[in-house]
Amino acid sequence: MTTDAPLNFEAMSQRMIKKHHVAIILLHWFNAITWLMELTTGAALIVSPNYRFMPVWFVEMITEVFGSRGNLLRFHIAAGLLWVTVFAVYGIFGWRTYLHREVLEREVALDRDDLQWLRIRVLSILGRSNEPLPPQGVYNAGQKMFALMVYAMLPIIMVTGLIMAFHWGSAAVVGWAVVVHFATVAVVVSGLMVHVYMGAVFPEEKPAFFSMLTGMVPELFAYKHHHKWWLEVKAMESTPAQPAAPTESTLSRWLHMKEYWPAYWAGLGLGLTLLATFLIIGQGLGASGGFTRYLAFTLSLIAPQYAATHPYWGNYVQPGQPVLMDFLVFELIGVVIGGFVSGWLAGRFKISTDHGPRITPRTRWALAFAGGAISGVGARMARGCTSGLALSGGAVLSAGAFAFMLAVFAAGFLGAYFLRKVWL
Amino acid sequence: MARYAMVTDLTRCVGCQACTAACNAEWNVPAGQARTRVLPTGATGTFPNLRAAFYVAQCNHCDEPPCVRPCPSGATFQADNGIVKVDPTLCIGCGFCVDACPYEARYLNPETKRVDKCDFCSGRLEKGQQPACVTTCTAHAKYFGDLEDTAGPIFQLVYGKSAKRIESADVAVGPNVYYLGRRDEAALIAEVFPPRQPRMPAAAEFWSRLVKPLALTMVGATFLGQAIAFFHQLQTGEKHSDD
Repeated sequence: MTTDAPLNFEAMSQRMIKKHHVAIILLHWFNAITWLMELTTGAALIVSPNYRFMPVWFVEMITEVFGSRGNLLRFHIAAGLLWVTVFAVYGIFGWRTYLHREVLEREVALDRDDLQWLRIRVLSILGRSNEPLPPQGVYNAGQKMFALMVYAMLPIIMVTGLIMAFHWGSAAVVGWAVVVHFATVAVVVSGLMVHVYMGAVFPEEKPAFFSMLTGMVPELFAYKHHHKWWLEVKAMESTPAQPAAPTESTLSRWLHMKEYWPAYWAGLGLGLTLLATFLIIGQGLGASGGFTRYLAFTLSLIAPQYAATHPYWGNYVQPGQPVLMDFLVFELIGVVIGGFVSGWLAGRFKISTDHGPRITPRTRWALAFAGGAISGVGARMARGCTSGLALSGGAVLSAGAFAFMLAVFAAGFLGAYFLRKVWL
Repeated sequence: MARYAMVTDLTRCVGCQACTAACNAEWNVPAGQARTRVLPTGATGTFPNLRAAFYVAQCNHCDEPPCVRPCPSGATFQADNGIVKVDPTLCIGCGFCVDACPYEARYLNPETKRVDKCDFCSGRLEKGQQPACVTTCTAHAKYFGDLEDTAGPIFQLVYGKSAKRIESADVAVGPNVYYLGRRDEAALIAEVFPPRQPRMPAAAEFWSRLVKPLALTMVGATFLGQAIAFFHQLQTGEKHSDD
């Protein structure tokens, strides 16, 4: 401890200090989006059973999205070239900032504390050590290991990609480039999975994730997780003529909001989302239609003949048309991801069962399942649910939507009377 | 859907190589390469029982083409009409398929850096024309058409006159180029130019046998570890959080 004054942890958890320059934040998210697109298209490009690792339906779905395999390859190459160009520009103009020897020694190279940290961290995850973790610099040893791996792999991925795209060298060179491209990407992907998990899901590292949006971390986080860097910052601050550190930004406050959103704000948001889907997709939101397609897909896997000839399921299972190729199918995936994100942002991320005081969680699950099944059947009979019929239908002033909404509320009030004991 | 096949009558072939020239001109084949070539077997046997034939070699558009699976980008594929094609927009020029072909029918075009081979003149077929080698053949030795058209000439030649395929006991992948001849020229050709076993380049072998399973294990193990950690986190909630 170099400071003599006692530390005020409460103030430190409020006070934000700068960690990332905006150029790094932009590069990070550009990189993330590019990797997502390149991994998706790259996986769909490998069709031969000799090398293919994604299921056929995935390959066909992605090819469908791009129209043809030629377009898919062109997109993969174009996005890759853009990616190489952006990194080249950063590397050339930011050589001193990002790649200078001193920078690499400080941000990437592992020192003795880091090796200790790695040893204790692994042992503590296995429950074999209670030693305190050694202090860490601006990046911890795990982050440094990932950076080292990425620094080693990126040039290889770029060069092999360029060899394939421009047919550099002999056939043997191109042949080996394909294999090396695949292998190095696989190595990065395993590291990337840990990186995404630690950054986006692991609770202790949450401030690190927000720092990739706002550039700032709470001082307390720096003090606890990056102590050596915190000492550096303190030493800098103790020299005069330093501007006052900025306080928490509006963006960061909104992101950290603990409570549920006010219902009217959420309603406005939902309305805008609905407007956006009408504009972009040409149809409204829905829920039960998506579930129907998932069910039809499962059925077509188990009993394809039955599903194709059935008067109801046959509508969904048609030859040459993927059952899951529907907006609602993807919308539901987005709903699940959105739910996770919002719960995670508010720190509500936990398995729990809400239930009234008189009933057990098991009863609640049984009732919820039964209620869900009844409303599911009802929704298909009404040809829509509260989302597809009431919300999207109401938005286009469909008479059926209003009739449905009145019926839903009437039945709801009636049913609530009989089920009041469940919640009270 | 048609099932295209070609029949070459070796009794009529005079080895003039007009087919090679027509093909090279039609498809801009670079010098030193060919989609189809005429290879003399040379004389074999002892006088006066000598045998010789011209092997008119080209892609056989096999029923089970060994060149399709090794292609990493899916550029080589078998169309519904049986024709094995190379999509030049997808080909990256790795040459895996060149090594796989038992008939050496493929070559890497040094100008375009992409693999090229006979596609039964698909471009001409779409216009309702016959392949260039068939219309050019000075001896009228070549026939082309739909094998499933029972009234057509190809069906008659293959099943009526029992034209032969160039196959061996080791390599039988169902070639769709047939050969007619009064003195069993097809057997002589199979003796002098036997189809070779499909070869897998070291890179392709390494990828499919080692790198792919290794990569899947590595990514799968990481995923499993994280799934366990994630489930553990869901159960404990966020009480370890600093804020």
